[in-house]
Amino acid sequence: MDLYEYQARELLQEAGIPTPEAIYARNVEEVVEALPSMGLPAVIKGQAKIGHRGQAGAVRLVRTVEEAKAAAEHILPMSIQGHEINGVLVAQAKDIRNEYYVSISVDRSTRSFCVLATSQGGTEVEQIAQEQPDAVKRLHISKLEDFDQAAALDMAAQIGFEDADVAQAGDILYRMWQCFTTNDATLVEINPLANVADEDGNLTLCALDAKVSLDGNAAFRHDGWQRFTDTRVADTLEARAQAAGMHYVHLDGQVGVIGNGAGLVMSSIDAVTFAGRAQGNGISAANFLDIGGGASAEAMCRSLETVLADPKVESVFINVYGGITSCEQVALGILQAIEELGVSKPLVVRFDGNAASEGLRILRESKLDTVHVAETMEQAATQAVSLAASVLHNTEETK
Amino acid sequence: MSAFIEDNAPVIVQGMTGHQGMTHTLRMLKAGTNIVGGVNPRKAGTTVLFEGAHDGEDVHIPVYATCAEAKEATGAKASVVFVPPRFAKDAVVEAIEAGIELIVVITEGIPVNDSAYFVELALSRGVRIVGPNCPGLMTLGESEHARGVNLGIIPDGIVSRGPLGLVSKSGTLTYQMMAELSDIGFTACLGAGGDPIVGTMLREALQEFEQDDDTKAVIMIGEIGGKAEQEAAQWAHDHMTKPVVAYIAGFTAPEGKQMGHAGAIISGGKGTAQDKKEALEAVGIPVGKTPSEAARLMREVLAQLS
Repeated sequence: MDLYEYQARELLQEAGIPTPEAIYARNVEEVVEALPSMGLPAVIKGQAKIGHRGQAGAVRLVRTVEEAKAAAEHILPMSIQGHEINGVLVAQAKDIRNEYYVSISVDRSTRSFCVLATSQGGTEVEQIAQEQPDAVKRLHISKLEDFDQAAALDMAAQIGFEDADVAQAGDILYRMWQCFTTNDATLVEINPLANVADEDGNLTLCALDAKVSLDGNAAFRHDGWQRFTDTRVADTLEARAQAAGMHYVHLDGQVGVIGNGAGLVMSSIDAVTFAGRAQGNGISAANFLDIGGGASAEAMCRSLETVLADPKVESVFINVYGGITSCEQVALGILQAIEELGVSKPLVVRFDGNAASEGLRILRESKLDTVHVAETMEQAATQAVSLAASVLHNTEETK
Repeated sequence: MSAFIEDNAPVIVQGMTGHQGMTHTLRMLKAGTNIVGGVNPRKAGTTVLFEGAHDGEDVHIPVYATCAEAKEATGAKASVVFVPPRFAKDAVVEAIEAGIELIVVITEGIPVNDSAYFVELALSRGVRIVGPNCPGLMTLGESEHARGVNLGIIPDGIVSRGPLGLVSKSGTLTYQMMAELSDIGFTACLGAGGDPIVGTMLREALQEFEQDDDTKAVIMIGEIGGKAEQEAAQWAHDHMTKPVVAYIAGFTAPEGKQMGHAGAIISGGKGTAQDKKEALEAVGIPVGKTPSEAARLMREVLAQLS
């Protein structure tokens, strides 16, 4: 789960990492209210869970109240690549001398934690890593070792924070690791970690921007991450399905997809999109929905309800390879959904594995003309796409 | 001898007395796995009855307080873990400390900070972990007397012994691929798991299959996220004498969305199925865009071998 900058900043503050004075504001009035305590100039930073906010024009330096209002009015209604701006951070402007990049993340390859650092912060670290590989330091923290103050100082010296106080850099690294582990983060990134000058010209390091991602699997240790619930998106189809314990991802196509197991569902989505391309009608998958292992008829019924709540869905492809899951239960769930919800849209079902023949028999004996059975995954996807396309075609003609 | 673990190896189940544990222990017993004990401190000293579990006969499995006790009493070589996420770290650490050689972690939803810890600990002790968030490991024994083991939730009866090895990041796609190639048969099928950090990576499974004399070719099932497929492919290119064929799921998956598995996410344009396909093909590994295409490619590869 990705956090907004203002939320990431809260976690850094809690870990004792220096950040500029800043106040989160949801509208222009709150921006104006925040200004006196920040002083001018200030920075107005649009909050969205996406990078390159500066380049998109969602970050502005303002020198007067009028400029601050204008900036807020410009930024608040923005959206960046589909990510709506959710408030702004009004932050003290700093006198920046150098910028560094430091992050801690999960490293799948070494199966430990990777510290990535460069003295050329403020820009895209991946790009620097490609252009000047030597400029980016890549170090590791092992879960088996105690990454204490001394280890952090040693690492800071290795990274080489030239022009900055290495002792302070070490302290910040140590605190970043504390922030990472106590919050069950998968990413803590400070970019830039800036060397800033105060009125007397003294230099100190300060986290001017941060990105934090939290491990959804660790929510049980953190009260379900309630403090970070995004109220703006809480009512979307996706949020509602996830709240009901379903693995559902909205994808914006016309064929609903339900299957058991994340891999098989991904594979089914591919099959639908490939079929849409082959048929040249541009039909694609409407969603990802994994009913998991050993799903009951009731769970199957609720899944269909969720998928069909998306008004764009014209047909549904149900793909089950019964391992622990019984295809018989899935078939009963399909019939239950048709009866309870009055499903009229065509369903294409492909069963294999555990109780597949029982499941298929139940569907055949129901004699429902909206339920189609296919032999293979590809055939089922092709049929689901054709059915969706013919519905859309007919709708066009009636218009 | 099969890949990963000896035939007939004695096995304990952690979390056996829970609902999942009971269901799958019965299945594993019916598949012929030599299960010798369960672990639960609150039920230590009791036995659990599995009706008709072994060739129609009832089986009583003793419950021990700790892994160490179970290992002492039974000589267990492997453990299967069905313990819920919040207790999984302690359970796996206990198994490592007890000297269990192979630990298969089925549990889904373990925080990555926890799995990072027990995976590193296991690596430092020379213990193999499979998973977490995986369907387990199934080996197909050489004969009736040397029965393979079924550790986890992979359905029994889809395949019999043959020349293929299988390693996969996904559960149901494993079964799908086993079914597609059931006429050819397998030495072992290993579900590596869908989490960002796993005990046996695709590359390490290839290493094991390379060393196993009876495995002649390997089918590898990957998905979006990370670069385990590329790392495995590079290793295969540099060290492997046996052919590998791959399938990757998620060619049409969107950026930035976690597709069910904790590790299945394209972030910053990285970890796409297309990138993986190109990287694998560049080192000579054929990649199917659907499971059945991968199965067909495997048949072609096998035809060239013989």
